[in-house]
Amino acid sequence: MNKLISKIFKLLPSRPVYAHCDIPCGMYDPREAQMAAATVLKMVQKLKEYPEDDLNNKVRAITIKEEHAQICKQEILILWTDYFKSEHLEKFPDLHDLIWKTAKLCSDNKRAADETKARELIESVDKIAEIFIQTKK
Amino acid sequence: MRSFILSKVEVLLAMTIKFPIQRFTVFGNSMLPTLKPGQDVLVWCWFLKLKIGDLVVFNRGGKEMIKRIHLYHGRSIFVLGDNRKESTDSRSFGWVDKSEIIGKVVSFNT
Repeated sequence: MNKLISKIFKLLPSRPVYAHCDIPCGMYDPREAQMAAATVLKMVQKLKEYPEDDLNNKVRAITIKEEHAQICKQEILILWTDYFKSEHLEKFPDLHDLIWKTAKLCSDNKRAADETKARELIESVDKIAEIFIQTKK
Repeated sequence: MRSFILSKVEVLLAMTIKFPIQRFTVFGNSMLPTLKPGQDVLVWCWFLKLKIGDLVVFNRGGKEMIKRIHLYHGRSIFVLGDNRKESTDSRSFGWVDKSEIIGKVVSFNT
């Protein structure tokens, strides 16, 4: 019975209907990734500033660092999968490698609370942002 | 001659009378997780009795869209996408008039 219904179903002509999302789609911005990377560094610095026994603030700083490293990774991956096209890759052949390494840096920054790693992340994200700006020209 | 007139009548009928059941293919993400892009829906278009929670297909400025009814006020209908984060709906384009409604979804393949 179900098969019959689905056969009839397929006989009908189909028209497109839009489950529309024209506001967020097509709008890309590397600034969120940059903000998230800057937050990671800020949290690493805060973590050092808080006294040893201020566990509450230490845990907060770690949580925020963790969250923003994830946001940063997510934003970069969205740019990678949704924004950058093959013609961008022709112009910037090391784009894949740069994004892959930046995503790895996000993970490194989750694992450790290291200022150098956080600064490296900021630099890498800035490089991606720079490429983004170039592609907009 | 007769067949000529008949064919004209047929064309006119097709233009004025909506077919009772129509098939649509979903484009876009705004109805996730209920409807995925590429999924087909079957829409009933005659004698509509709409209620809150129904999935409806409507025509907005020449574009046929699919959303869910959230509020009903006389002939005005407030529609929202199931995926609030990625949906353009009554929050941005306002109320939909009942005359804009094409039909309501009666079945979709899962």
